[in-house]
Amino acid sequence: MKPDLLSVIIRALGFVALFQAAGAAFFLATFGESLACARTPIRRVALSSAALGAILILAHLGLDAARLSGDFEGLWDEDLQRLAWTSRSGISQMVQALGLVAVLAGLWKPGRSHARWASAGGVIAVGGFLITGHTSTHALRAVLGPLLALHLLVVAFWFGALVPLAVVIRLEPRTTAAEVLKRFSVIAGWLVPLILVAGLTMAWLLTGSLSVLAKPYGELLLAKLAGFGLLMVLAAYNKWRLTPAFEQARSESSLRRSMAAEYVLIVAVLSVTAVLTAFYSPE
Amino acid sequence: MKRIPFFILFAGLLSAPLVALAHAHLEQSDPANDSTLTTVPDHFMLMFSESAHLTALTLQKDGDAAPQKIAGLPKEASEHFSIPAPKLTAGVYTLRFRNVATDDNHITAGTIKFTVAATARPAAPGGK
Repeated sequence: MKPDLLSVIIRALGFVALFQAAGAAFFLATFGESLACARTPIRRVALSSAALGAILILAHLGLDAARLSGDFEGLWDEDLQRLAWTSRSGISQMVQALGLVAVLAGLWKPGRSHARWASAGGVIAVGGFLITGHTSTHALRAVLGPLLALHLLVVAFWFGALVPLAVVIRLEPRTTAAEVLKRFSVIAGWLVPLILVAGLTMAWLLTGSLSVLAKPYGELLLAKLAGFGLLMVLAAYNKWRLTPAFEQARSESSLRRSMAAEYVLIVAVLSVTAVLTAFYSPE
Repeated sequence: MKRIPFFILFAGLLSAPLVALAHAHLEQSDPANDSTLTTVPDHFMLMFSESAHLTALTLQKDGDAAPQKIAGLPKEASEHFSIPAPKLTAGVYTLRFRNVATDDNHITAGTIKFTVAATARPAAPGGK
């Protein structure tokens, strides 16, 4: 296996773990007070994904030296390692890992106030992405930075809530679970469309023309958009059909299956993003 | 919803001090890609679209089992690199490079293919 391939696999897994950890912390800070049985398992999800995410991010950073040299011998090259760890990309990844350590520290002890600290860690972890990449070097970075922050934080909130919601459905009494689902649905209904608005605005500002759609960068953007479109269909089905059916004690397994499909689709979109941001430029 | 202004402030603070540029693409090289040389080169010249660290350079002659690593690459970032070439004989060569842009840290890989003609003369002393 080439360093480029291994690096992008670790990058994609790191994205999944980071967004899961940040999102589970946001979930606990928002809904934790309503939960009795599900709080501890959700805390464990956040803790384990934060620990895994920090390890994956640091492993990815260590592999950068191999990518720089084009072979694994680069791992032992002191100059390349120094270049990787002191670069803006290195600092970005260290901030992401630091944010995840803050999630770990915040959730180490149970309690809602701790979940708020963990959420701050989630914001730092997500904020690490703003330090490097296309949006950080563009002339319109003052606009692109906040758009990227909004895009990523809502993705974390949405994606990171899916496993906690499944835990809530499984462990909490139906009335509590239905109430949490309803509240999540209202918040997500306002926030999730912002992913598309921010994403499309960033894509337009970065590419500036439709001709990019004929290039690999544009093709991968279209793949992300198609994934998002499918997710919207699933989310609408959950909101309008499956959640009301769950409230009326008619359907539980179909809601959980649909949420599992949402999870897999978001993982696919995050993987496409890992490839897009590692190898391609909008130019 | 209450957190959004904080997020925007946070994002603004992080993005404010950054500078504007993108990947370092190869703009020019000597030998040029797909060129046939009548003079054996004693240097390789690479010019990128922006400042970058040249992190790897290998040369492989058609028929050779493995590429030859070119050592002693400059440690400083630059747009322009001139690297002493090993002794070349007639044949088809592939020069592979990797660089990392100093601004966005994106790694770019590229290939330059060239042929040293059988009748090629050695480079003039001091020439590049």
